[in-house]
Amino acid sequence: MWVVAATPGNTRVDVGAGVRRGMSVKLDINGQLLETDAAPDTPLLWVLRDHLGMTGTKFGCGIAQCGACTVHINGGATRSCQIPLAAVASDGVKITTIEGLSPDGSHPLQKVWAEANVPQCGYCQSGMLMAAAALLKEKPDPTDADIDVYVSNICRCGTYPRVKAAIHKAAAMMKETQHG
Amino acid sequence: MDEQIDIGRRRFIVATVAAGGGLALGFGSLRATAAAFNDPVAVGSEFSPWLVIGSDDTVTVRVASPESGNGVATQMAMYVAEELPCDWTKIRTEYASTHRDVVEDWVYSKPIPENRFFAGRSTTKERMNSMLQVGASARERLRLAAAQQWNVPVAEVEARDSQLIHRPSGRSLGFGAVADRAARVKLEKEPALKPEAEWTLLGKKTPAKLHIPAIVNGRAQYGIDVRLPDMVYAALMQCPVHGGRLKHYDADKARAMPGVRAVVVIDPDEPRPQQKLRNPDMDWDNSAQAGIAVIADHYWQARKALETIEAEWDERAGAQWKSDAHIVRSASALVEQPGKTVTTIGSPDQAMAQQTQFVEALYSTPYCDHAQMEPLNGTAMVTSDRVDLWHPTSMADVAHYVTALEAGVPLEKVYVHQTLVGGQFGRRNFGDDVRMVVAVARKYPGRPVHVIWSREESMRQGRYRSLNVVKLKAGLDEHGMPQALIGRTAGHNFRPRNIRDEQLGMYSTGFGLFFSAYAEGAIPNSRIEYHDMPLHIMTGPYRGPGYNSNTFILESFIDECAHAANIDPLEYRLKIYANWPDPGPTLCLKEAASKAGWGRKLKAGMAQGIAVGNWGSFGKPQAGTTVCAVATAEVSKKGQLKVHAIDLAFDCGRILNRDAVLHELQGGVVFGLNMSLNEGLTLKDGRIVEGNFDAYPMLRMADMPQINIHFGGLSGHERFSEIGEPPVGVIGPAIGNAIFRATGKRIRSTPFRKQDLSWT
Repeated sequence: MWVVAATPGNTRVDVGAGVRRGMSVKLDINGQLLETDAAPDTPLLWVLRDHLGMTGTKFGCGIAQCGACTVHINGGATRSCQIPLAAVASDGVKITTIEGLSPDGSHPLQKVWAEANVPQCGYCQSGMLMAAAALLKEKPDPTDADIDVYVSNICRCGTYPRVKAAIHKAAAMMKETQHG
Repeated sequence: MDEQIDIGRRRFIVATVAAGGGLALGFGSLRATAAAFNDPVAVGSEFSPWLVIGSDDTVTVRVASPESGNGVATQMAMYVAEELPCDWTKIRTEYASTHRDVVEDWVYSKPIPENRFFAGRSTTKERMNSMLQVGASARERLRLAAAQQWNVPVAEVEARDSQLIHRPSGRSLGFGAVADRAARVKLEKEPALKPEAEWTLLGKKTPAKLHIPAIVNGRAQYGIDVRLPDMVYAALMQCPVHGGRLKHYDADKARAMPGVRAVVVIDPDEPRPQQKLRNPDMDWDNSAQAGIAVIADHYWQARKALETIEAEWDERAGAQWKSDAHIVRSASALVEQPGKTVTTIGSPDQAMAQQTQFVEALYSTPYCDHAQMEPLNGTAMVTSDRVDLWHPTSMADVAHYVTALEAGVPLEKVYVHQTLVGGQFGRRNFGDDVRMVVAVARKYPGRPVHVIWSREESMRQGRYRSLNVVKLKAGLDEHGMPQALIGRTAGHNFRPRNIRDEQLGMYSTGFGLFFSAYAEGAIPNSRIEYHDMPLHIMTGPYRGPGYNSNTFILESFIDECAHAANIDPLEYRLKIYANWPDPGPTLCLKEAASKAGWGRKLKAGMAQGIAVGNWGSFGKPQAGTTVCAVATAEVSKKGQLKVHAIDLAFDCGRILNRDAVLHELQGGVVFGLNMSLNEGLTLKDGRIVEGNFDAYPMLRMADMPQINIHFGGLSGHERFSEIGEPPVGVIGPAIGNAIFRATGKRIRSTPFRKQDLSWT
């Protein structure tokens, strides 16, 4: 078959020379210690996705514009495409990804998101949820303006009105649970 | 599971992997080797290629259209469930297999001979009826099987909530308990569909999209999330001037970098075996682009290595275009001259000569990128036995064909594994992304190669909305109403989609220049002309192709006519549509205007603008979806624009899922806002300049106006037309017309952020 019968001149496959691995480091992700040998300058986004196989955190722009890669670092929403591995590979740095937002999809935001049919294509929604979760931790009763500031993620499908309504609804739900 | 299974045995096969979700719409993990190469995986008895019922009562509906956020999979499931009365929580969906279509005599695509069957929308009548029939047929077979089991007349058996109930005795069985027997039942006659008046789900209930639970857990699998045993990653760069070729490159440094396995070159001129295939309407260009890819153990390694490669390109003819302004300048000169005629209605020249007042204007709209959130990507494995593709394509059958063509294998050896789609808006239709993925993978055979475009590569190698330059002239009668309209456009070719001009080595496109009611008789005399230009920038469908910029141009121009006639813009449009044989435009104009409080007094610098349009009808009445938008906007004296509210009314005939319709319309409004306020690619020395969201901005939460969707424009006409694309066209002109009324400035180009809106 033509595909595999291609001549070397045709395929121009050159095998790379150097395979130098980084030092193995441990990361505290979703309460687990995970080991990786990625190079220290590898963005946390790609460590999560490629090296650790946690694909819930998404690649959207690579320049901290879109927020699809948002994770929590010690509770704060952070765009992981701009965080090199070396910056988080130390004791006391706790990383939370969408996979660890709740063990079973039971975070009030996740519940409301599903009930209110918030996502369209859904690609940006991991980042949206992580940004919203960090907001609710800091401001349990956010105003519209708070949401505008804390959730600056890009959604090309235009789910913004639903995201905003869902955050208010989840906040109300959490307050009720606390008081009830 | 062995792929070489006897397909005749399919219905009795119990899948060995991924039970309880599995590959359903790419929700599950592809990490298990067997699962990665075998889909679909529904467990149970197959009633038809479209439907499987499991012993646990699970109903799996196979869906040919990719789910990209439009809810198409859920809609298909709703059709089945309307006729097959089952517990909604027991419904699953998974993708239909293009491979099965090929090897089983077009089992999916033949019964409904639509072009691009594994694509597109859910609401065509043929598709709806075929899925309703799938449900009705299964229901009758289940009833018959239960009747046989109980040895009772079938008339005494009722199907309800995933149960079969023998009414006289009160006995009941779950669907799953008789599924195996029922799947073997042959009906003498297909049951008739129930009358629409008896529908309980369609048009009545509004279920959320079925795949949302996986999205909110981060488990949903898009193309970029595919993980396979022994997979390697590739980063890609293509010639920055579209259509150019690679002249020379130096990759010594890249080859020595950590993790790098190979540097491969994609050469469009390399001979590929010619194959004659059953053609699924591939009347567009998806040829390979000249490029270089680095293949490494991890993506970041490939990306870093790629950045060190110095490439010299033969830029070819595209380099002649020094800037986008250069193209607009040339096009603006061309539209002063008569062009080739596209359509003529009445006697435009004669009618024009008889009028007393004339309005003339020149408009232009720029290239726009889809900027779908999931960057282009895909995974392919090429071996001597078969070629597998895992891809977020929006046309799986086209992906299948392109894979076969690029790999040089027959269709039977291609397996396309459709994933969820992280936004498409028209970008993933052509299979040009599939072509590049397979082109890279076949240079590194035997391993799955996962190719990811950087955002910059994705944006600069787009298939853009075409740049459009239009000159319009209207002749108004003594009452100020338009009796003649002549329009001329110059830019990308007036031909469907993207046809490659082999001689020039360039690409051209166009899509329905006007196809508006105005050019189809609402204005009694009209002619549309065009000029081709040798443009190299690659273009393609972008949410509401053609319509998205033509509506801005036409609806702004009609506003100019209303102003010249000194007639209120709403009243002017109502007069134009007064005798139009479709109540939609009038209904929508009135609904949007009344809900927005049209005519109320607003403070200085603040005004309302209105626009009406139709997507999908090609200017014909009682077809497509009519939309009307009223924008309430404010412009500061310094020229800062704030859109306070968009009120949107629509008429798609009827609707099937109110919340889904609302969601799509909201999203379409946001898309139209961004397109009109923000988007416009620029060109320098033949190259697209903008590469990422810093230079090509997107509206965010804080930028949102009040978006009000009104349902009072629905005419109740029998059609269920689509609603994803229609809102996109009318937002820009509604805002532009509001800007005019607020400032006295007529804006004849987008994006508005680049226009001087200051006023005194």
